[in-house]
Amino acid sequence: MSAAAPAVTAAPTALRHRRSARRLSKAQLADLRKAFTLAQGIGDDRGYQYWAGIHGLPLPISCKHSSPLFLPWHRAYLYFIEKALQDRVPGVTLPWWNWTRHDTGLPPAYARARVDGKRNPLASSPIQPAGRRDPKEKRTWRAPEDPRWLPSAAEVNGVLDRNPDYFTFQNQLESIHNGIHMWVGGTMGDPSVAAYDPIFWAHHCMIDRLWYLWQLRHPGATLPAPYLDLALPPFAMTVRQTLDVTRLGYDYAASTAAVPGTS
Amino acid sequence: MVDRFHSKALELPEPGQAFQRADLVFYGVDHSGPTFEARVFIGAKRGIDRSADVEHPAYAGSVFVFGHGRCHGEAGHCDVPAERDPFDWRLPHHLEPGTQILTVTDTVRQLVAAKKTKAAVDVFVHGPQGKARKCLAFSRLRLLTYA
Repeated sequence: MSAAAPAVTAAPTALRHRRSARRLSKAQLADLRKAFTLAQGIGDDRGYQYWAGIHGLPLPISCKHSSPLFLPWHRAYLYFIEKALQDRVPGVTLPWWNWTRHDTGLPPAYARARVDGKRNPLASSPIQPAGRRDPKEKRTWRAPEDPRWLPSAAEVNGVLDRNPDYFTFQNQLESIHNGIHMWVGGTMGDPSVAAYDPIFWAHHCMIDRLWYLWQLRHPGATLPAPYLDLALPPFAMTVRQTLDVTRLGYDYAASTAAVPGTS
Repeated sequence: MVDRFHSKALELPEPGQAFQRADLVFYGVDHSGPTFEARVFIGAKRGIDRSADVEHPAYAGSVFVFGHGRCHGEAGHCDVPAERDPFDWRLPHHLEPGTQILTVTDTVRQLVAAKKTKAAVDVFVHGPQGKARKCLAFSRLRLLTYA
């Protein structure tokens, strides 16, 4: 497997499409909320608390930051929680938050505290007792800054275009990623609890999408060979297995349409 | 740990030396503290202070560090081992210092065009809501240009 442009040989109907959080249909958004609600209601290793806790607390803190494995580890992480969500609502996919759009800051689907008279499962989540950095912090919270301070599309495009070297690209993308964590603030600003906030997944989906777009722009560019067969604990996956998103069953096409073939 | 840094002057490329890209690289960056933004200014006049923002003429960019925050383990959990066994196949310690690469091509070009031969780097640390934070520490700073 190479990290060249992802193969398009797989049947498109088998791939799932990760969409912009702003472009979800009513039904897609309802499915996403249902999947989060159901996962948040499960207390064992199929549930939201288990998956959010892998990133940070309870120990061990497994996330990889300031590490050569930053992008592959988080791609594996998204893959496994998306599978857990699909176990609750088949076909649901994680959306991405395009934070280069500055009109609203947080995507409206994630910002509204309540929906249809109920707590919006995308706006906040409980934090399990063993996952709290502070015993009093029972739910996630945010303190977003001015949307004007979010990165611009030009800034992000510069990072994608000017860096054919994997590590330089990852380094600069990770810095932008860090800035978004700080911009959202609150729980998101601390890696020990960040993944409990539902916006974490949409943010990292955007990061994953940008890696995918970088792969398209720089065919063949990837991590050096010694890294490819490293494991990404606790996930049963190697770096090499994360390189091609179509092998993981999803893509980030800007749009998608299909019609029946001849048979 | 500091909340601001002023470097010794770094040599800039000579005027006739063409380059496609310039990077400012921070080595050995500590990320054991809270999350912060490091605003970087190159060739600023004396007197620059932490109120300088992205509109400042010497602003070259920002690097963001996703800080680990306080230690959640027991004594020694967040101590980075001084040495590593070459046969230790475990992943590096979670607080192994990192590297930050800031591309500063336009800023360096402007300084060279203004006939500057050296320039100092100023860094101001900002936490959430712009608050000062003493959490910047790194081992080395290097300016590289690429032809």
